[in-house]
This record gives sequence, structure tokens and C-alpha cells, in this order.
Amino acid sequence: MSTTGNAGATSQAADGRLPHARARAGGPLWLGAGVAAPPGMVRLTWPDSTGQALPVWPDGVTPSLLDEYQVAPVPVERSGESRRVLAAVLKCCWTDLSVDPWPGDPAPVELVLDTYRALIGRTDDLMRNWAIGALRRLHESAWIVMDDGVVVLGPRCALWPVESHAQLQELVRRLPGPERPELTVVGDADIVAAARPAELPPALGVGGRAEGGVAEFEHLLGAYDERRRAELVAAFMAVEYAAEPVQELRFAALRDPALRHTLGEMLALRGRTLIQHRDRWTSGYDDACAAALTATGPAGPSAATNPSETSTPTGTNPSEDRPATDAGTDVDAGTGMDGGTGMDAGAAPLGQAPAPAHGMRAASMRLGVSERAVLTLVLVHSVAIPRAEGLLPEDSWLSPHPTPADELRRHTQLPIGELEAALRILRHAGLLSQVKAGEEAGGYVPGPQFHRLTPAARRRLQEELILAAGPNTPLAAAVRARRSAKSNASLSDGRGSPAVDGSPL
Amino acid sequence: MRSPTVERVSDQPLTLDAVLTDEAVLSTYRRMFAALARDSGAVVDDPALVDIAETLFAAFAEAGEEWLTHEQMRFACRAYPSDQFDNRLRVLKGLGAIREVFPKPNQLRYRASFTSVVGLMFIRRMMDDGGQSEMHRLLALEDLNVADPRTTMEEAWQSAVNLARAFRLWALELITLTTGTIEELREQAPKLWGTEEIARRAQGLHGTILTRWPELDRVCTDLRAAIYAYSDASRRAAGRLADSAGTTRNLTLLPTETWRTFAQTASKERLAAVLDGFVFDAPAPWHDPAAIARAVDEAPRPAPAQPTPPRSNLPDPGPSDSLDSSPGAAIERLRSVAESLLGEKSRVALADVLGPDWPSARRVLADLTTVDLRPELPYRLTWSDELTIDPGREPAWLSHGYLERVP
Repeated sequence: MSTTGNAGATSQAADGRLPHARARAGGPLWLGAGVAAPPGMVRLTWPDSTGQALPVWPDGVTPSLLDEYQVAPVPVERSGESRRVLAAVLKCCWTDLSVDPWPGDPAPVELVLDTYRALIGRTDDLMRNWAIGALRRLHESAWIVMDDGVVVLGPRCALWPVESHAQLQELVRRLPGPERPELTVVGDADIVAAARPAELPPALGVGGRAEGGVAEFEHLLGAYDERRRAELVAAFMAVEYAAEPVQELRFAALRDPALRHTLGEMLALRGRTLIQHRDRWTSGYDDACAAALTATGPAGPSAATNPSETSTPTGTNPSEDRPATDAGTDVDAGTGMDGGTGMDAGAAPLGQAPAPAHGMRAASMRLGVSERAVLTLVLVHSVAIPRAEGLLPEDSWLSPHPTPADELRRHTQLPIGELEAALRILRHAGLLSQVKAGEEAGGYVPGPQFHRLTPAARRRLQEELILAAGPNTPLAAAVRARRSAKSNASLSDGRGSPAVDGSPL
Repeated sequence: MRSPTVERVSDQPLTLDAVLTDEAVLSTYRRMFAALARDSGAVVDDPALVDIAETLFAAFAEAGEEWLTHEQMRFACRAYPSDQFDNRLRVLKGLGAIREVFPKPNQLRYRASFTSVVGLMFIRRMMDDGGQSEMHRLLALEDLNVADPRTTMEEAWQSAVNLARAFRLWALELITLTTGTIEELREQAPKLWGTEEIARRAQGLHGTILTRWPELDRVCTDLRAAIYAYSDASRRAAGRLADSAGTTRNLTLLPTETWRTFAQTASKERLAAVLDGFVFDAPAPWHDPAAIARAVDEAPRPAPAQPTPPRSNLPDPGPSDSLDSSPGAAIERLRSVAESLLGEKSRVALADVLGPDWPSARRVLADLTTVDLRPELPYRLTWSDELTIDPGREPAWLSHGYLERVP
């Protein structure tokens, strides 16, 4: 790839690899005012012309294409519950069925919970906790945006294909409305209004439109006939979204070397690469792209995509907090009389996923310290130790040896509260899988995401573990020596690592 | 000649691996005692023989001041074949590891030598890590020695010369391994290569000697060179091994204990740093509209507290009102059935009283059978052997019987 010079913004716009990789690693991208979305992404534009960008898929398919090929997608934790809660959010936020569901209108969390309650016909506290957990997961995966007791549909809702809107309309129509006591002290509209002060975070704004959103593969796919094109798109979706590597035999675009080459080019446009496990294939971050992402620090906004991000939200946050909190306490006083389902009770756990747009982004962009620490522990117990004992011969970071939850709880330096939260987040992201066996047995193993490590990444992970666990061993010294030799060699080559081209680090 | 392993007590099948393991153990034994042996065949040729010695020493420790007789020793080693036992006992006695309690003829009780037991402990430890921990201990002791004000320059010189020699030989062995086959390297090197700690300790010792006796400058230079040579050889062996091991074998090169210690003691930040340079996907499940609709349809409906049994849709109270549930009612009904059939007579033929259709005849027969079985009622059924078959009438098959009133 020959990028010329340091013309950061332009080459960034032309090269969609890094933004795509960043969106995959961290969810929707934030775009500054007037900044165009990278190719292959839909731009969700707010009234103030800032916006968010999300990758779209070729030929209007969605990951539900996997169902047609009977390939299992990454499992969704408590999927039924999450989807029912999403339906409740849709019922509350999609008030005008004549237009697209996204962006819809903001709705109070309590209204959503009431709607969900009417949907499943249960009113106990357990149901409420489950629903709040589902809201949090939906928030973390950008299906909704939840802030200060108010919910709006998230950017991912803009990816529902237009053809499916009729189905959603029908669903919203037949959902029962919540049975609410007439006498609410503060009306729903007032809650929303109170949560929406003058300086409105864009995510909670009204209005907004989806622009563009055509996959950038036309120059690759155009040459193929209808059937081949469909095969390529199917294989693309399968390697990108299946939980496990898919069998070569089942996808023509994986069997045929020429088609596979094109598939590799499609993936490369998005900063991805094909990874082979014997006769199975999956995709992962291209090594150069991953290096560039971690070099920028994925959370660090790139100047080109979002110049205003760091300043704007932090500026508005303190001022916006106050009225919102007031609204919360008002509602608490009001509903407290009719049954004690206070707004604050709901808002407190929600508050853990704080702050609007940028908070969500920072949280999901990169795993936190305790999440990474827990993941390392599981890798040590489930992979490194079995391998040291000769029980795990394969070059893989997946493992049939679960790390007992008790081991994590008792024999580590991690506080128990952080541990549980980290396990939840890691499970949700598919980085850990829970293995259940009986009452106490079972534990955690590395999740399906570890299929997606390239050979170089697998090797690097192993080296990092050795450097961390035995920094004084000759083995670590050998690793360090080889690395410094390598970086010297690449420096003397006269060109930097290909990873950093064009990106305004 | 029979292979000695065939008689191994453990009853393990003789495999190539077992032979190799035994051979590795024996070669260490031979190397350890090379300096003491009188001829090259003087070291045991079966690892089991050392186990016998260990078993014996354990038995002696157990026995305390009771000592042990020959029979008791044999009993302690009952798991081993007697010719092996005799051979061992003879050698151990000959070398003084096991001696008579009192040096006089016809002594029956034996005791074990403390020195030999310590020696055996040392052997076992050497077996485990090829002398690495011995080197640690040695260095620690030497460190104490040279710091001791009573130590003379002569002693310090001796110590430095010894250490330099040990390190040099150690390094040479590693270098030979590094250029040899990769299998041999994998097998032997982790026992031989030192940690940075050993090198650091040795350098500390070297520093102490040099500060205290600057005159020993020359031998210290030797020692320093040997330490560097050793560190370098370690690194090179590890590097070659790491290169050859690829992505599957490398983790086996750190022992399980190291991993466990790391997992248990490392701070959150140190653990997290491992994954600093890795990119993972953000959670992005896809909620398809069809899947959402399906989830709503499959919502668990709340179950009512008390499920009612199924009932007919029609309002049908049934004949429950007409049933007389008073205690004598059943008897009374049967009596009236029988009386209505008998009328004035004391005996009627069943053929006469049964109706023309089977359903009503069946009901009458059932009633009459019940009547017959009730001893408190004064009616009985009597059956004859006669049977009439007439396809034209109903019932077509009719066995003849009579209902009688008994006085």
C-alpha cells in the first residue's frame, strides 16, 4: 500500500481500513461536524451536522444471512430477554410509525420497564433486574443509548433494512401498552425534557438522518456474476460474523482460490485478514491494522474523524448532569408513593454505564484494566498451565480446560466486585465463555474471539505472557533479543512499520 | 541377560520411554559419582537399586533405637526381588552406609549412616534440576563465607577458582547442547540454563571478593568471564529453543509453578499489561427484526397460581343431583330392581326378564350380579348348563339362568 506522505486527513478518508477496524473494535465512530463517513459506512447525522458512522454490509445483507447457511453467529447472552427489552424500547421510542425507527424519540427508562412488564406479564423485582441488565447490554452494544433515566434507539437500529420495517411496525402495534397509574406526578414528557437541557448531547437529540451507507466493494464484486457475487458476500459475512471458523467446503468463495483471493481483498479493505485453521476459515484484524490501532490507543480519537470530541462532551457534561439528577429525584418522590418503584432505584445501576456518547465509546473502545487482567488470568489457567503440563498440544488460544471461578475469586489480587463486573463484560464480548458443569464445577475458558488471532498475534500473545510471568528467565531474554533485532532490521529497511501509514497517530 | 526393568515392582509395561527415562537418570548418577568411582562400571545399572537404598534408610529412620535385623530389612524391601536386595545390602555394608550397631562378630542388628542419607537427599535434588538449586545454595553459602571476617584470602581465592571452574564447565555444556540436536536441547537445557538471579548472585560474590581482596584481581577476572560466558550460553540456548519451539511448545518451557505464582501474585496492572497490544471486537450482537418478533412471541407467559383441571365448555352439571348418596340407597335400589323383575313369583328365568336389546340387558345383568354377591339381600342367581344360540335374536348367545328369591 503506497500512501503518500503525512496528509493525514485525506489519506485517512481514502483508506477506510483503520476506521473500519476501529469501529469493529470499539463500536460506532464519532464524526466531527461536516466530516464525511469513511467509505463503506453509513453516516448518522445529527442536526448540528456531527454524526456517527457504522459499517454497512454489501448488497444489503445483514448478519442474519448466517441463518440461511445454518452457521451459528456469536451467541447473544440471554438473547430472548435482550430482544424483548429491545422490542419494549422500540415500542416506547418509535412513536411515529410512518418514518424510519431510527432515531425515534427519547423515552424514560421507567416507561420502557413498564412496557416490558406488560409484555411478559411479570412484575417482580427479578424481572426488573433482568430487564435492567438487558438494557445495559443493549447500551454496551450500541443498540440503545441510555443516559440519566432516558433511553433512545442506538445507532445500530439504523442498520435494520428498510424491508424489515413493516415487520417491526407490526410488532410495535401488537405489543401491549403499559398499564400505568394515571396519577404520575411527573409526566413522561417532562422527564425527557428535564433530561434534555439546552446543551444536548447529540446522542439524545431529536432528529437526525442516516446518509450514504453503500459497501465499498463494488470494484471487487462488479466483475462477478450474480451467483459468484452472492457466494462472495455469503463467505464474507460468514467469516466475519460466525462464532467459529466456518468450513471451507460449505462456502464456494472459500473453496475456490480465486474467489478466496477476492474475499481476502474485501476483508483487507476493512482492515481484516483471512485466518485458516486447517480446513476452516475465519477473519481477524490484519496485524498491521491492529498495531496501528493499539499505537494510536484505540480510545484516542483521531484528529481526522473527530476533532471536537475531546472538548465538547467534557464541556457539556458537568452542566448537563445537574438538571438530570434533579429530574431523577423528583420522580423518585412522586412514584415512591405508589408502590416504591422509584426512578432513582432504576437510575442507580444504570448510572454505572455513565455519560452519553463519549463515555460509551471510551468504555467499549478498549477493555479496562480489570477486564484485561481477568482475561490474562484465564489465559494462564486455561492455556498456559495445561500447555506447560503437556495437555494442550495445539497452536490455539482456545482450551477445553476451564479456569474455575473459585480460583479467580480466591487466589488472585483482584477485588471480587471488579472481578464479577469484568467477567460479565468479557462474556458479553465473546472473549470468555462460561462452562457449566454441576453446581460448583465449571468456570471460564477463552471465548470464540480467540479464533480470530492471526498466527503473528498468537505468537505475540505467547511472548507477552512469557515476558510477564518469567521476566528474568533466559526465555524472556531471548524474546527481548529477537524483538530488538527485528525492530532494528525494520528500521534499517528505511521504512517504518506498514501499520502506521497514513494514520495521524 | 534379563533386563533388570522387567522385574520392576511398579509393574509398568516396559516401554521405550521408560527405558529412556531410566537411562537419563542413570547417566546423571554416573556423572555425579564419576569422581568417586573406582572403575566405570561402579555405578548402579538400574534406578530401582537407588530406590532400595532409600527404602532401607526410611525403614531405619522409622525403627529408631530398635535398629533393624536382616529380616526386618528384607521385610522393608519385600517389594524388590531378593537378589537385588542382597546385592544392595552387600554394597551398602561394604561402603559403610549400613553398619553393625556394635562392631563385634555375630552382630544381628544394623544401623544406617547419617552421611549416606544426606548424600542421597543431595542426589535426589540434583536429579530434579540438574544442580541448579545446588548452585544457588552454594553461591549463598560462599557469599556468607567471604563476608565472614574470619575468612582468609587463601580461602576466598579457592572459592573464586572453584566457582569460575563450575561456571565455565556449565557454560561449555550448554554451548555443546545448543549446537546439538534440538530434542536433546529441549530435554536438557531447562535444567542447565540459569536464571538471571544466579548470574546476579555470582556477580555479587565476585564483587565482594574483589572489594575485600583487591589482590585477587586476576582470579576475579577469570570468574567474571566465566559468569558472562555462562549467561550468554543460557541466553543462546533459550533463543534457539524458543525459535524451534514455535507457537506451541514455548509455554511448556516455563514450569507450571511459575505460571501459578504469576497468576496469584501479579497485580492487576501487571496482568493487564499482557494484553496491551491486542485488539478485540466490541460486543456487536445482531438483533434481526424477525428474531425480535420471535423473542416477543416466545415470551414466557405468567403461569396462573392454581391451574384448574380441564372442564367441558358446555354447561353440564351431569346427573350428580339425582344420585342418592344416603348409606342404604344402593341396597334399596338393588332390592327394588330384583323385586320389579320377580314381581309376585319366587323364581324367574333370565331369558324372560332381559330386554330385547343388549345395552339394557347388560345393565340388568350387572345389577343382578351385584344382587347375587350381596349376602344381605334375599335373592340369588342360579345358572344351568343350557345354552341357546339364535342369530336372529338378541342376545344371540344366551346361557340360561334364574333369579330366585331365597327365604
